[in-house]
Amino acid sequence: MSNDIEATIRNIDNVAIIDIKGDVTAVTGEAIEEAYQEVSLAGSTKILLVFDQACYINSGGIAILIGIVSESQENKQIIRITGLSEHFHKIFDMVGLTRYTDIFPSEAAALQGF
Amino acid sequence: MELEKSFELHIPSVLGFEKVVVDFAASVGKTVHLPAERIEDLKTAVAEACINAIEHGNKMKPGTKVSISFTIEESKLQVAVQDEGMGIGQITPPSIEHTIAARKERPRGWGIFLIKNLMDEVEFETHPGGWNVVRMVIRLQEE
Repeated sequence: MSNDIEATIRNIDNVAIIDIKGDVTAVTGEAIEEAYQEVSLAGSTKILLVFDQACYINSGGIAILIGIVSESQENKQIIRITGLSEHFHKIFDMVGLTRYTDIFPSEAAALQGF
Repeated sequence: MELEKSFELHIPSVLGFEKVVVDFAASVGKTVHLPAERIEDLKTAVAEACINAIEHGNKMKPGTKVSISFTIEESKLQVAVQDEGMGIGQITPPSIEHTIAARKERPRGWGIFLIKNLMDEVEFETHPGGWNVVRMVIRLQEE
């Protein structure tokens, strides 16, 4: 079974953008966690997670994302999210992630006023 | 006349194989004309039930299997996911507020939370002989 995921980092102005391609699970989610640690170490306080519309996210991946959001609260960072399908937007609402992050319909919208 | 159709799948206790069941669930969902958003709900619930069966029920032991049955009835689609484990006991419902306050790194229990929130009916059954089954129902819309 494929465990491929890519979490790459780029910067636009003072926002660290993590592009996530592939399935987000307990195993692959570590790549996102590592990317988050890297941008945190670099001092980023504004982080945008860009998901792939077609990605599959399971509860293990959600647990990792909750862990990242939890750490960001402690580090006084702001996390925004874009690229989610309608279904995963609903799931993020359901688990409460949207109480701590904002979800935007596009990268441009997410960067607006960030 | 009441229409009933059943399908059964068996997968090894290896993470990743739940996606085979998810693809099958999507096909069944289309066959019974579920709306696209309900098919997504079904896919997530089925994936989570299989992951729980693989990880917590069968504890990923080689040689164990997860059995999944889909039963189409006139007004509902029932999915049963059965493992060969001894049960996982009572799970405290997860809370993101508690996770953040307690600084927990990997909160668990979200799989069951999602199944309960996405399906119309959910029932868990544990047998002392050594298997658990989760039965999930998604109601079919009237034409």
